[in-house]
Amino acid sequence: MKKSIIRVISLALLLGLTVIGAASCAQTADFIVGFDADFPPYGYIDDNGEYTGFDIELAKEVAMRNGWSIELKAIDWDTKDFQLESGSINCIWNGFTMTGREDDYTWSAAYVDNSQVIVTSSASGISSISDLAGKTLAVQSDSSAESVMTDGENPEMLALTASLKELKRYPEYNTAFIALESGAVDAIAMDIGVAKYQIASRTGFIMLDEILATEQYGIGFLAGNTELRDAVSKTLKELMDDGTFDRLAERFGIDGAIKW
Amino acid sequence: MFRLLLEGMGNTLLIFFVTLIASLPVGLGVSFCRMSKKPIIRWVTKIYISIMRGTPLMLQLLVVRYGPYLLFGIRCTDAYDIYAVLIAFIVNYAAYFAEIYRSGIESVPVGQYEAAQILGFGKVQTFFTVILPQVIKRVLPSITNETITLVKDTSLAFAIGLVEMFTRAKQIASKETSMLPYLFAGILYYIFNYAVAFGMEKAEKAFGYYEIK
Repeated sequence: MKKSIIRVISLALLLGLTVIGAASCAQTADFIVGFDADFPPYGYIDDNGEYTGFDIELAKEVAMRNGWSIELKAIDWDTKDFQLESGSINCIWNGFTMTGREDDYTWSAAYVDNSQVIVTSSASGISSISDLAGKTLAVQSDSSAESVMTDGENPEMLALTASLKELKRYPEYNTAFIALESGAVDAIAMDIGVAKYQIASRTGFIMLDEILATEQYGIGFLAGNTELRDAVSKTLKELMDDGTFDRLAERFGIDGAIKW
Repeated sequence: MFRLLLEGMGNTLLIFFVTLIASLPVGLGVSFCRMSKKPIIRWVTKIYISIMRGTPLMLQLLVVRYGPYLLFGIRCTDAYDIYAVLIAFIVNYAAYFAEIYRSGIESVPVGQYEAAQILGFGKVQTFFTVILPQVIKRVLPSITNETITLVKDTSLAFAIGLVEMFTRAKQIASKETSMLPYLFAGILYYIFNYAVAFGMEKAEKAFGYYEIK
């Protein structure tokens, strides 16, 4: 009796796994974009439950002009490399910093000039980067702000990081801001576009004029996937030429933050 | 905002019900293997249970989702995400349920088997008509515990990119730059778990027929 139960269960399991395996290794959409949905104004969820943002709208436009079906896949930012390599997404398109990651992906041309800035509360008394000595600084885990702060080849940044009391990593900026508001950290290092969105929708925060680092955003494809990269880059160039790009930048409030 | 959260509830409910419905019977099979008279089956099952209980579910999710690629180079698209979540949850929860069943089955006095044998019951009949009903009533409180944990564990599914209610709450919170969506998510989880606990309490009453009052 026991044996027959075990046999039936294991047979059913095997059968199920085979069906799943056969069904799920086919591509579900022509173009699967991986992004962090906690990253306004580049990628976030709107009031209707649809994903939107500067990068998302650009991606949709590119897919439309190429006649591709698009799938927007919100991912856990820490698992982006896994997802890209295993094929569950085709590209990472979400305020994705090229600087420092040049060799890890096949990149589109840079399409945004970004800066890393420091955000702090207006009452903190921090007014320049050198004031950060002895303070706790927050960054998003696996973000370019984190890699700027921990760049082994930049002695200036290493000295700054060493002067901090602590460099704390948070999963997304919302949590980092609660930490800042509650006094758990003294400042946050982040992308300028995101900083502007956060400061505009909260009260009592300021952005330092001094810039930590300048860098560029690109669209990251799996290393070697030049075919898709070329197709996307070509359409992106068209969007820049016909003004769609500028219109979207204005709509998402990052035209001032971006210089191109 | 509440509507968006409820949309995210879809995946949460899917993971919950499929895992529960599948892992309860699978767990029973596993518990038989765990108590098998053949040492090899018993040991293999012991090792399986030990790994499932000894490693984080989040890690198991990553292994099921990305293992095929990392080990064999098979690229699966995101259609596989939901299956990977379900497989990992079922395999994990079956291990816990198996141990709960074992505690229940081994607590049934040997006299019950002897009495059934004297009455001329076969092995199968003995198990399903005499032993199993007693086991179920004994393990229900432990099952309730696991089931409630399951409701909350569904939030781990986002580790491999499946958006469920908690992730949805996080996204809304980021967009609104407020913590309020988390509060609503908490309330929804509480309501869900209250319903689970309520249902299980009813089940315990239904199985309480030979309690001495």
